[in-house]
Amino acid sequence: MSGRVTPELRAWIGRTVTYEAPEELGRSALRYFALALGDDNPMYHDDAIAGQSVHGGVIAPPTFVCETNQIFQRPADENGYIGHHWDLPLPSTRFIRGGNAYEFHQPVRADDRVAVTWTLVDIYERDTRSCGQLVFVVSEARYRNQRGELLATNRETNIYSP
Amino acid sequence: MTKTTARRKYFEDVTVGEDLPPIDVDVSLTALVMYAGATWDFHRYHYDTAFVTKLDMPAPFMDGQMLGALMARQLMTWGGIDCFVRRLDYRQRAMVYAGDTIAIRGKVIGTAIENGRPLALCTVSVTGPEDRVISRDATAAVELTRKSA
Repeated sequence: MSGRVTPELRAWIGRTVTYEAPEELGRSALRYFALALGDDNPMYHDDAIAGQSVHGGVIAPPTFVCETNQIFQRPADENGYIGHHWDLPLPSTRFIRGGNAYEFHQPVRADDRVAVTWTLVDIYERDTRSCGQLVFVVSEARYRNQRGELLATNRETNIYSP
Repeated sequence: MTKTTARRKYFEDVTVGEDLPPIDVDVSLTALVMYAGATWDFHRYHYDTAFVTKLDMPAPFMDGQMLGALMARQLMTWGGIDCFVRRLDYRQRAMVYAGDTIAIRGKVIGTAIENGRPLALCTVSVTGPEDRVISRDATAAVELTRKSA
């Protein structure tokens, strides 16, 4: 294994951080998310219809809980970003998303107050013909509500190109 | 919001091989800004053309999790009011840029009972302009209810 995955970088594996939302998600946030996806599913806004479902009421769109920028309570950086990131010692690289593996344990409700725990699971390198040497960073997020119930897990792979 | 009625998809009515409702999404800059706003993602990647041009990108681009959100939209639409997406796993193979239209296509490839839960197992693919493969064979498990329940 060469160059970019240094011992200093590998030492980040296993790091963990938890962020707790200062307030409940709120119903309008669910409707805003659905609207942004062109999604008029009544489960996300219509009490009368959602009340007839096994869920008993309005729920959040499944992946909504995995978007947690609003939790962090940080000012925007110079590019406008306010969310979680690992401050990895990987200079002059470009970051792209490689994919997500979600597991949803129970529907998320508007009155859930979410806490997310991120763990850096793995860092490895791959040589590719088209993009050169890529560094893959795998993180796992676990989302819980105010009662400590596990709502979802999200295993996310991000790719750092040279 | 559109007036909608309660629609259920029962586990017994699932046909392996059936298509999920196809969704085509016009990923306009407005659509990117709406998703960015809804997720508090104010990174210039998603709206600042001059900024991304300097990074050698043709246009502002879609956040990777929006892809998963659109797949979930398709799965939840298909499954009706009682369904719940249990798993969704996808790799993003290419970027989606403002101005692209993407086609989301899914299919039921099997059924399973896991921990007593009736699941429809699906695959979803997303294709961009000129057959650009955005994601291929994402896998999903959608919990449904039984008629007898």
